[in-house]
Amino acid sequence: MSKDYAVIGKNVPKIDGREKATGAAKYAGDLKFPNMLFGKILTSPHAHAKILSIDTSEAEKLPGVKAVITHKDVPALKYGISPARWDENIFCIDKVRFVGDKVAAVACIDEETCYKALKLIKVEYEVLPAVLDALHAMDEGAPQVHDEYPRNINTEIHQNFGDLDKAMAEAHYIRKDYFVGQRTYQSPIEPHSAVSIWKDNKLTIYSSTQSPHYFQYYIAREFGLKMGDVRIIKPFVGGGFGGKLEPTGLEFAGSVLAKLTGRPVRTFYDRHEMFAHNRGRHKVYMELTTGVDKEGKILGVHANFVSDGGAYTSLGVATSYYAGGLLTLTYEFENYKFDMIRVYTNLPACGAQRGHGAPQPKYAFESHLDNIAKDLGIDPLEIRLRNARQPNTVTINDFGINSCELTACLEKAADISGWREKKGNLPKGRGIGIATGSFVSGAGYPIYRNDLPQSAAMIKVHEDGTAATLYTGAVDIGQGSDTALCQMAAEAMGYRYENMKIIAADTETTPHDFGAYSSRQTLMSGSACKQAGEEIKKQILDIASTIMSLPPDDLDCRLGIIFSKSRPTAKTITFEEAARRFFVLRGPLLGRGVYHVPRLGGTFKGAAVATSPAYSFCAQISEVQIDEETGEVDVCEVWDVHDCGQVINPMQLHGQVHGALYMGVGEAIWEEVLFDDQGKIQNPNLGGYMLPTALDMPIVHSELVESYEPAGPWGVKEVGEGATNPTMGCFNNAIYDAMGVRIDSLPLTYEKVWRAMKEKREGKKEV
Amino acid sequence: MSQVITDKHGIQHYMITINVNGDDYTRVVKANTLLVNVLRDELDLTGTKKGCELGDCGSCTILLENKPVDSCMILAIEADGKEITTIEGIAESSELDKVQEAFINNGAIQCGYCTPGMIISAKALLTRNPHPNEKEVREAIAGNLCRCTGFVNIVKAVLKVSEETNDKEVISNE
Amino acid sequence: MYLPDFDYYAPDSLAETCEALERFGAKAKVLSGGTDIIIKMKSGLLSPEVLISLKKLEDLKKIDYVSKKGVVIGALSTHNDLVNSKILNDRYLSVSEAAHNMASNQIRNIGTVGGNLCNAVPSADLPPILIALGATIKLVGTKGERVMLLEDLFTGPMKTVIAENEILTEIVIPDQSSTGSNYIKFGLRRSGALAVVGIAVAVTVNGGTITEAKIAIGAAAPTPIRAREAEKFLQGKTISDDLLAEAGVIASGESKPISDIRGSAEYRRDLIRVLTRRALYKAINEGHV
Repeated sequence: MSKDYAVIGKNVPKIDGREKATGAAKYAGDLKFPNMLFGKILTSPHAHAKILSIDTSEAEKLPGVKAVITHKDVPALKYGISPARWDENIFCIDKVRFVGDKVAAVACIDEETCYKALKLIKVEYEVLPAVLDALHAMDEGAPQVHDEYPRNINTEIHQNFGDLDKAMAEAHYIRKDYFVGQRTYQSPIEPHSAVSIWKDNKLTIYSSTQSPHYFQYYIAREFGLKMGDVRIIKPFVGGGFGGKLEPTGLEFAGSVLAKLTGRPVRTFYDRHEMFAHNRGRHKVYMELTTGVDKEGKILGVHANFVSDGGAYTSLGVATSYYAGGLLTLTYEFENYKFDMIRVYTNLPACGAQRGHGAPQPKYAFESHLDNIAKDLGIDPLEIRLRNARQPNTVTINDFGINSCELTACLEKAADISGWREKKGNLPKGRGIGIATGSFVSGAGYPIYRNDLPQSAAMIKVHEDGTAATLYTGAVDIGQGSDTALCQMAAEAMGYRYENMKIIAADTETTPHDFGAYSSRQTLMSGSACKQAGEEIKKQILDIASTIMSLPPDDLDCRLGIIFSKSRPTAKTITFEEAARRFFVLRGPLLGRGVYHVPRLGGTFKGAAVATSPAYSFCAQISEVQIDEETGEVDVCEVWDVHDCGQVINPMQLHGQVHGALYMGVGEAIWEEVLFDDQGKIQNPNLGGYMLPTALDMPIVHSELVESYEPAGPWGVKEVGEGATNPTMGCFNNAIYDAMGVRIDSLPLTYEKVWRAMKEKREGKKEV
Repeated sequence: MSQVITDKHGIQHYMITINVNGDDYTRVVKANTLLVNVLRDELDLTGTKKGCELGDCGSCTILLENKPVDSCMILAIEADGKEITTIEGIAESSELDKVQEAFINNGAIQCGYCTPGMIISAKALLTRNPHPNEKEVREAIAGNLCRCTGFVNIVKAVLKVSEETNDKEVISNE
Repeated sequence: MYLPDFDYYAPDSLAETCEALERFGAKAKVLSGGTDIIIKMKSGLLSPEVLISLKKLEDLKKIDYVSKKGVVIGALSTHNDLVNSKILNDRYLSVSEAAHNMASNQIRNIGTVGGNLCNAVPSADLPPILIALGATIKLVGTKGERVMLLEDLFTGPMKTVIAENEILTEIVIPDQSSTGSNYIKFGLRRSGALAVVGIAVAVTVNGGTITEAKIAIGAAAPTPIRAREAEKFLQGKTISDDLLAEAGVIASGESKPISDIRGSAEYRRDLIRVLTRRALYKAINEGHV
């Protein structure tokens, strides 16, 4: 970042750091309102069952119970987040589709009474055969999860670019591999909660959300309310990672309970209920066939995937398109076929999780590419350098790439990790692996079709100029957007970060923004904030020019000091002075900004998904130590080198890499949602679903390469999700390097490594 | 034994006194009331978070008699007569504690949900061992899960406090 | 989550505790640290009508060395009391280490040794090492007290010989003829993980010969088990790498592990083979660590 900037490019203290460090920060589950009730949802114990009857009479009699509701008390309109497939009801009407499906809800004077009341609701079920295996969901005669979707097909994609048959015919070498991803869960540490208040005809919800806008839109739609009569407020949010992007039963049931009782209702999930609600990463079955020339240059790729979507669509349509769409980013090839079927099963719904759709296909492709490199005798780094995407190119599926420093990332990662010295020279049991990643800097199109701008922002300067408040719909869920956007606004205004205040993510007081998903806010919300700041600056210089008797074009403002550009010795005035004068003469000093994405992408079916104004790139190298007898994997060290354009806040940026890597490390070795043969989660808690602890995390090195993205404000682009994408493949390649065994399913557990080594010893498996 | 009151449904309630952040609070609780709920619901000290409620995540970590414990695993009545420090009491004045400062300055906070428990665990470590090595830091916070930071900057922040703590200060504090 | 309703008593003495247990019989459960029972109650697996808290039994919170008897560990000592006990650090670091690798720091400050033993979870970390060191336990009831070997406590998963009116008050690690001991826990992550298998050994080495060996294994059967065939095999033999490896094979053959989400029976058996060898090696070469 150029030294010319006064506020951006610097580590400023996190704007909400003190509140969070002192315990003062209030999350949805911490909020209390006078006369507030507590609400809880009764869920299905069966994976697939007809509801024969629901008897709520005993629950209603329990002292302290204020309302009990079932499907009869709520709109029957189906909702969802992917508009092509609205398939959920607030409460199940005729049947339940997974263990955890919503059946009824209660509102009570305290939490304890809720639990007791739920036990008193009697639901009679007729258990139906369930489909629990995605690979058999399409079988003739398999149980149907939704009658409207024959053979349980939820999403079917067949895309064909270039001439794959020709490419394969011309290939020097063709290899086919098969990999399986696993279902993981976002596991934010904050459980979902919502407080719903329905007064007169207005519904207000404080929710643990990544997108007040989508909540507002879908909740208004469900209840037939005007959007203006639904207010969604985001308090502090304790992490989302994709799991808090869509409204849940907590908001829908909570709203109805609030309306019926006339009282605020706080609804909440316990940890095991979060797992049941899920919307985590899909389990994907991935077949990859790639043809290369003698030098290992990729000529064509066929990706043939099946994914287990669970009982509802959630964001799964987009996930499915992303899974194949994003595979064309890091390596250049001109012929590509992508087939994908997402099936319904009687398991919790899957949705968007950090790296949306990309990490598992990346695991498969990076493992596959290493196999090809080995077969051809090419170094894994070398084959990646030969195929690495270059700047100012267009992918075969029509994504326009501006900045791209992937080659520099690979070179730097190799340098700082000592790749060339280590590769082939490490003792047995120790291995080094490499992989690449890329991600969108904001989805090019919103989730439901509309022509709203992506982001808007306002800045209001205090009448005496000693503070400025940024109003943005952008959503800080921990990634630090409030801080970064205030830096950007201050920079554009010529003001100081320390004097910035922010009001964010409240649909009534802040301008529209689609929210925190697809790594969009630094580029998109940032663009709007920059524009708003520039509008402030223009006005402040205009008034200053009258005070200073200098032409406005000759003036600039930096860190709150207004000065002449041509006469360095001329007397300066302060931003405060000018702002105060502005208010006295002209009224409120306001700045507005708006960001629209230009039209992006091709015209084929699904062309919109994975379009973006800009793409980040990264290379990762990891080193592991394998216990040759037990299969224990010690993840020793990871090097991530990112091309994320220019940097607004280095500390926060590296924090994003650390977090994305953390999720990738967890999913690589430990994390998996496991089910029994009845479709019930076996590890719906943080003891059984194993996030790495502080003792398990490798040493992490996060570095950058110089890059400038013309589509982003001040040259920025994404970082928060990209670093999750290479990690699983990177570790798989390191394990291969250490032991010569290839693990073809995630996670790469100790037992799988042990088994693969055993089979290799016994000569059972050719690698 | 704390005073017992039986309500009209035959449920027993117990009067307990706990010292929280230096002040005594007397409350009437049921036997099944958890300490975390007394802190959050009765005393409004919502800095102590609920994350998993099974002792796996450490979000509800408090100091009980100066030792870090998961307050979701302790009956309120079992804490009767005991001293408790929550995140709200970790700083002795309106100034931040050094650990809090270090968390803010080193990027150890993202969503902030694990932060109170994490700071309590770090504080307990540094009180016992002002100059821990990295492994000791990681061990001390291994019962606090953070989904945002990969622990990288948390470990850095705790080590920074150690670096900036001079030993004279340690001795005079004891 | 919430706990179902129950009545609560915190008797002032051991005698009163036993009386209360006798009075309430099967309706009551003992509350020690509570880290196991509270999870079970929150998860709906248990709803006792009465909890009898041991919190006032201060005498049971000590760790002492009593000459000619051994190290006496009060049942209410927390796991961290074991970790930090100078007596244990000096004499049986293997016990402190086993405690140190349990759960998390917060849980180690709550959970107690007595609770860990009485819950009789097959994967518990303390039983194997205490069994290998020949620990005895004292059970006190209304009709008096009895002392037995710890390894005779367990009858099945979550099942022990403790009568409804009895409580476990102390664990004694007798003075050892053994020269080295060691516990290896194999967990799937480095904190907050249950043992996939846990192997404890105590060996008596004289010159280059093993005169006695005790091998106790957790998560290998419905209860912690002794690998008696392997122990017998080692007795009187000259130490060699092959010998220890063979002992591992025999111990593995004696185990009867199950398959669950943490590992298959086949994997567990192989881990037992490998880790028995490693634990023996360490105990022989490094003493009581």
